[in-house]
Parts: sequence; structure tokens; C-alpha cells
Amino acid sequence: MLLQVEQLRTYLHLRRGVLRAVDGVSLHVAEAETLGLVGESGSGKTMTGLSLLRLLPRGAGRIEGGSIRLDGQDLTALTEADMARDIRGRRIAMIMQDPMTSLNPVFSIGDQVAAPLRYHDIASGAVLRSQVIDVLKRVRIPSPEQRLGDYPHQFSGGQRQRIVAAMAIGCTPRLLIADEPTTALDVTIQVQIISLLKRIQQDAGLGIVLITHDLGVAASLCHRIAVMYAGQIVETAPVRAIYKAPAHPYTQALLAAIPRLHATERRLTAIPGQPPSLIDPPEGCRFAARCPHRMDRCAEPPPVVDLGNGHSAACWKLAA
Amino acid sequence: MALSIPVSEPIARRRLPAWLRGAPWLAFLVLTIVLVCAVGGEDILPDDPNGLNLADAFRPPFWAAKGSAAHLLGTDNMGRDILSRILAGSQISAIVCAYAILFSGCIGALAGMAAGYFGGIVDAVLMRLIEIQQSIPSIALALILAAAMEPGLTTVIVVIVLTYWAWYARIIRGEVMTLKGRDYVNFARVAGVGTPTILVRHLLPNIFNTLIILATLQVGQVILFEASLSFLGLGIQQPDISWGLMLADARQYITSAWWLITMPGIAIMLTCRSANILGDWLRDRLDPRLRQL
Amino acid sequence: MPRFLLHRLLQGLVSIVGASIVIFLIARLSGDPILILLPNDASPQLIAETKRNLGLDLPLWHQYLIFAWNALGGDFGRSYRWQMPALQLILDRLPATIELAICGLVFSVAIAVPVGVLSAVRPGGWTDRFGRVFAMLGQAMPAFWVGLLLILFFAVELNWLPAFGYGGVSHIIMPAIALGWYPVAAQTRIVRSAMRDVLDSDHIRLSRALGTPEHWIVWKYALRNAAVPLLTMLGVYFAAMLGGAFVVETIFAWPGVGRTVVEAVFSRDFPVVQAGVLFTSILFVLSNLLVDLAYGIVDPRIRADR
Repeated sequence: MLLQVEQLRTYLHLRRGVLRAVDGVSLHVAEAETLGLVGESGSGKTMTGLSLLRLLPRGAGRIEGGSIRLDGQDLTALTEADMARDIRGRRIAMIMQDPMTSLNPVFSIGDQVAAPLRYHDIASGAVLRSQVIDVLKRVRIPSPEQRLGDYPHQFSGGQRQRIVAAMAIGCTPRLLIADEPTTALDVTIQVQIISLLKRIQQDAGLGIVLITHDLGVAASLCHRIAVMYAGQIVETAPVRAIYKAPAHPYTQALLAAIPRLHATERRLTAIPGQPPSLIDPPEGCRFAARCPHRMDRCAEPPPVVDLGNGHSAACWKLAA
Repeated sequence: MALSIPVSEPIARRRLPAWLRGAPWLAFLVLTIVLVCAVGGEDILPDDPNGLNLADAFRPPFWAAKGSAAHLLGTDNMGRDILSRILAGSQISAIVCAYAILFSGCIGALAGMAAGYFGGIVDAVLMRLIEIQQSIPSIALALILAAAMEPGLTTVIVVIVLTYWAWYARIIRGEVMTLKGRDYVNFARVAGVGTPTILVRHLLPNIFNTLIILATLQVGQVILFEASLSFLGLGIQQPDISWGLMLADARQYITSAWWLITMPGIAIMLTCRSANILGDWLRDRLDPRLRQL
Repeated sequence: MPRFLLHRLLQGLVSIVGASIVIFLIARLSGDPILILLPNDASPQLIAETKRNLGLDLPLWHQYLIFAWNALGGDFGRSYRWQMPALQLILDRLPATIELAICGLVFSVAIAVPVGVLSAVRPGGWTDRFGRVFAMLGQAMPAFWVGLLLILFFAVELNWLPAFGYGGVSHIIMPAIALGWYPVAAQTRIVRSAMRDVLDSDHIRLSRALGTPEHWIVWKYALRNAAVPLLTMLGVYFAAMLGGAFVVETIFAWPGVGRTVVEAVFSRDFPVVQAGVLFTSILFVLSNLLVDLAYGIVDPRIRADR
């Protein structure tokens, strides 16, 4: 298994109290597989992604427990220096939401794409240049030889996200964490970036963790989906099963909230209520307060029920 | 559960009005001393600031060897008491500050209000004038004025006013331009209220806070400016006492009497710093938008 | 030439012309230059004749045009004291002033950049505290007093540096510090707040996520972004150095324009004062103009807009 996360707990130590941003998350990603991490904002999906790189808010964020194994090596045991040298950008890369601000405005894109190759000692001199051109070609930047000296503002939003992708895949990482990579883009550009990510994955056998709140994007790119709610994963399943037979009430509500073009009833069902505070969260099921199927037993932590074919969900209703 | 006993806060603290909490008391104290000395004149000084006593010249401050308690900060080349001279020097600083700030504030505010309110050609002319003012370094302007006029108190004040009016004008202009668009000003205009009335009744009260803040922030700069001019010999002249002038006189004794160099400078620094602290505090209280000043 | 620069150039030209009018008026309205040129017991005929010869009987605007025309041709009159063309004297002294202003600027930037960067990286750390104390004291100390204290300490007490004069590197250290002292606080503040903004930006986060070593992030990627606001202000600070040079040059007997003009004021050497002040103003305007050019070199976004 490429990535194996067990019972990961990441807490933020704030002045108001300890915020359990990631509270017992387990997941795994195989080579050439895309796992979608889906949830509302504040559900802990971005913090899970940052935990994998151990890039938590300085002073406040800490991994409190669990393990992160990349090709069997536990990342939680590494030193900060080892993380920077051997893991970040080298074996796990990340791209972020807003391509408009993800590139440094005062450096040429050639410099920026070359930077990871340079400090990970992968190439230098003429070899470096040809590698930069090569990787820019792979992300379909037209005539990269002429554009190395150009600055980010001279590119469109979609092109910038391709350049960010080029920075990320330059060192041929094993795993890519993509945090809402298409949210800030137009729909047509979204499609291009999704197909680009798919092609990169096929070329390199890359594992991808796609963090998104957009179930449509997740459906078109992912093999499996993990649904997060209030710092925990409530349901994991192959992509088809999630959309055909969602088992957890939260997943059902989330899917019902997507407006469907051909559905007879086009009303957008929002989920009533608010997610619980992650400072001092409820003991039992965290969705219970908003759940239409709430039972007395929901006051205790729900068991993770295996539904077969890699489909599992944490809900008392399924345990019965 | 334990009973919680209310802990009473110190009474002085509770009685203080909210806007005075966290006020810079030390800065207030320094400025009060300066003001009292400026107003009180020579009667309240420990010694005659111009009293010559050559037998007692070059006495170091009291803590040094050969220092004496009669002259806490020592004496200068003519045996005059440094502490008394410093305290007497605050008079000049206060006078210069008062006049310079009054005139530059008034001229700047009037020009800024006119430019902001009338716009058009008035505004264009004013902006050019500000640019011209800013293209001459203020010390250079002082030099050419000093060459043209007799150096002295008046020259110092004129130079400072010529340097700082533009600062007021630019900021007030901006404020008035924003205020002009407000409904109540438009309403007054539609209702036929005359321009002078609008300026005085509707605009002036609204820029008053800004004027107060600018004036306080200017105090420290005026003190530094006056000291620099007097030091160059372009400002206050003997026998008037100014901190800058004291430092100019002290220059030739730099190898023998360190206290002549340090003490007046410390007075400048303390006063200037206190004024700046007070200005910052007022600004944060009255109008935090002006933070970039 | 891009329109923006053309506009700025025109603006600068207007400022310089305006400054020359101000300088001319102050000098001319101050009193009769005749009284300086002629002996006290000169006869009324002699005075009238000299006035006619010098054009002093013409209307003021006409006199200004003559002054401006001569100034354009490089003729500011002769120095009474030095018996040479005033412009020549100023130009002779100019390199020393520029040398001093550049050294002062280098000193202030050399303190402000590391202190600003380190206090942004570790807010509340010891560099941050040092920076705050420096800002507190620095802005309340007049340049001439800083100069005197430096002389007192490094020349009189320690005897490490020459107290005044022009010569090698050791001569310029103290004047440069005295000149660069005041702007350090403001520059530190600019660098600090710019660095804090940049270190919090998405592209720095991405650099971290891709394993960029921390010292590269701070001193290479973030600093270049944070340098933009400082660079835009450098012209203003250089101009401030030229203004401060009048005082500092006088203390350290530095043979530059500033000291020459101060001395000329005392000997009522009007052509030198006029030439010196007008020249400083032109440099003032030019240095602000140059910054608008330099701006584009650091910030590619603006380079494209122009």
C-alpha cells in the first residue's frame, strides 16, 4: 500500500481550547489510485492533507497520535529536517486551491518550476533546464522554451494551475495531495485540469488524495471516496457505491443537496443545523444532532460497519 | 462547587473613565514638566540659567568625581547650571511648538478644506504647490530663508510652517473630499446653506479630531527641527537658551566635558519621545484609520 | 516612453520650476543684493547704475526669467567668497555628498532588512524587541546629536575613528551612521509588515509543501516580495539623506554640498546658496523619479503594466 493512515489525530492548540481538527482518521491510498476526501469546510479534510506533510500551523498544530505510513515508512517518526529533505515535494507533493496566489509573483515560472528540482538535488545546469521544459510540456504549457522567463501574471488561471502542477510533479513524487485544485477555476478549465491530473496519474502511477467539497469533481476523478464530517471519516466506499447506495445519513444528505439537472424535483435540500464545535465535541456520533434517523444509541461512538466490497460506514443504524 | 468570592479591583482603576485607561502617564509627566518650566519662567528654576561663575566651570554631574549636589547635571564652560539651562530651554521649545503648530495647522487646514471642497482649479493649484514644497528639502529651505532673513525665533517658526502646512493640507483635503460626498453635506447644499456655513458648521467639526492628532504628532518633529536649526546656528541665537544651541556650544568641549553633549540631547530625546507616545495614543483613541501617519 | 513615466517626468519638471521660483523669490525679497555688492558709502548714482547693469530695475517676473535662463545655461553667478562660478563649486562638492548619502542609505538598509526580516520570522523574539527599542529611541534622536555621541564614544573615548574630515573608509563610518540612523526605524517597520504578509501567503505555503528549505523561503522567496515596498520608498529615503547631509556634513566637516551651503549662508554668499539649494531639489526630484523606474525592475507585474 502506498499510503496507510491509522487513527490519525491532529489537534490545534488555540487560546479558546484544544480544537480536534482531525480525530481518529484512518485511510489508505494505493498506487495509481485517487482517493476523494469529501466534506464541508471545517470538516478537517484540509487539516488531514496538511498532516500528511506535517505542515501544521506553527505553534498551534500538533499530531497527537496515530501513524502515517508512506511505502511502509512512518512519517510521524521523522525529524522536521528529514520531512523537508526527503518527503515534502520529493515523495509527497501538494497543490492548492487558488492558482492566482499559489505562484510567487516576482519570480519567473522557469525559476519556480526549477526550484524543487534544485533543492532536492535532482538536476542542475543544462539538465535542469531541459527537465523544466519537459515537465512544462507534460502539463501542456504551449512552447515552454519561450516562456521560462515569463512571470505568473502573464498566464491565465488554468495555465497557472498547470504550472503549479508542474512544480508538484517535477520531482516525480509518489503521492499528490490536491486541495480543491479546481474550485477557483471556470467549469471548462476545471475539466481540463481534471483530465490533466488523470493523465499525470496514468503516466507516473501517482497516488492522489483529492480534497474537495464538490461531489461532482470527486465523481469524475476519484476511484474511492472518503466522506469526512467533524474531524472524522463517516463513510468510505468505491466511487460508484457512494453515489448509488450511500449508507451514512450524512452522505445521503450531502448527495441530496446536489441539484440534479434531470431530476423532477430540483429543490436543493440543505442539511438543517450546524456541525458541532470541535473544541469539546460530543461523545457519540457527531452527526446525531442533525440526523433524521437519530436513536438513543447515537449518544455512544458509532461502530465502523463493513458493508463489503471496500464499503464501510460509521453508523448505529447499519449495525443493527 | 466552590463559592466564588468577588475580588474587588483597585478603586483608582475602577474610577478612571474608560478612555483614560492605559494612558501614557510617564509621557504626560515629562510634557507637564516641560510646560510648567516654559510657563513658570526663571523663578522656579533651581539656579539662574545665565548666572556666570567661572570658578565653578566644567563641574561634572553629581554622581561623578568632583560633582556637587548644587549642580545636579553639572555646569558648562562658564559655570552655568546645566539642569537650569535645560529647564529654561523648554521655554523656547514650547513657544516654537505653539506658534509653528498653530500656523501650519491653520494654513494647512484652510488650504486642505478649500481644495477638498471646491476641487477643480483650486485643488490642482494646491496639489502643485504641495509638490513644489516637497521638492525642496526642509533644511535647505531653512538655509535659504536664514540667509535671506536674520536667523532667530521668527525664522525658525516661518521655516517650520512652510515645511509642515502641506502635510496638514494633504490629509485634510482627503478627509474633506470623503465628507463632501456624505448625505448631510449634500442636503445642506440643496437646502441653500451658504458655503462658509457648510465649511464651518458641517466640515470643521468632522476634521477636528484629525487636526488634534496631526498637531500632537507634529510636536516631536518640531522639537527635532528647532534643535537642528539652532545647532546649525540658523535658529535661536544667544542669549536665548535652546537645547540645540546648547549642543552647538558644547561641541568644542567634546573632548573634556561629556555631560555638555549628553544632557541636552537626552532632554530632546525624552520630550520628543513623550510627544510621539502621546500622539500615538491619541491617534489610537480618536482615529485608528490614521495609523499610517 | 510609457505614458506613466512621461507624466511623472512632467510632474517633476513642474516641481523643479516651482522650486526655482520659490528660491528666487525668497532670495530676492530678502533685501537689496546691492547692499552686499557695494560698499556702504556708495553714491546714489552708483547704486542706480549698478541696478541697471544687473537688471535689478526690471519687474520681478522679468528678473526671474533672466535668473532661470542663466541657470539653464549653468550660470548661477560667481561665489563672492570662493571667487569661482557657484555651479562649479557645487559640482565639485557634489560627489562627496552623494557618497555620504549612499553610505547612509546602505547603513540604514543593512540594519533594517535583517532586523525587519528576523522580527517577522519570530514576532516577540529578541530581534523584534531590539527593533522596537531602536524604533523608540531612533526617532527621537536628532541626527546631529547621534553624530556628536558617535564622536564622543568612538573618537574621543575609544579613539578608534577620526572625529572629522574626509579620507578613507574610517572617515565615512560615523557620518554614514549619523545620517542613516533616523530612517532605520521606519524601514524596519516596512520590511517587517511586508514580510509578515508574504510569509502568510499561498505561494510561500506551496513552497513549504514542496520542501523548500526554510532559509530559502525567508531570504530568497519572501524577501524579494517584501523588498518591493521598501524599494518604492528608497527614493524618499535617499532624498531625506540629502536633506540630512546639511547637518551631518557640518558636524563631521565633510566637504560636501551641505557644508558648503551652510558656510555660504553665514558669509551671505547668495549665488552658492541658490545653486546649492536648487541642485539639492533637483536631486530630490530625480531620486524620486528613479524609484519609479526601479520599481518595475523588482515587480514584474508593474513592468508589464507600463
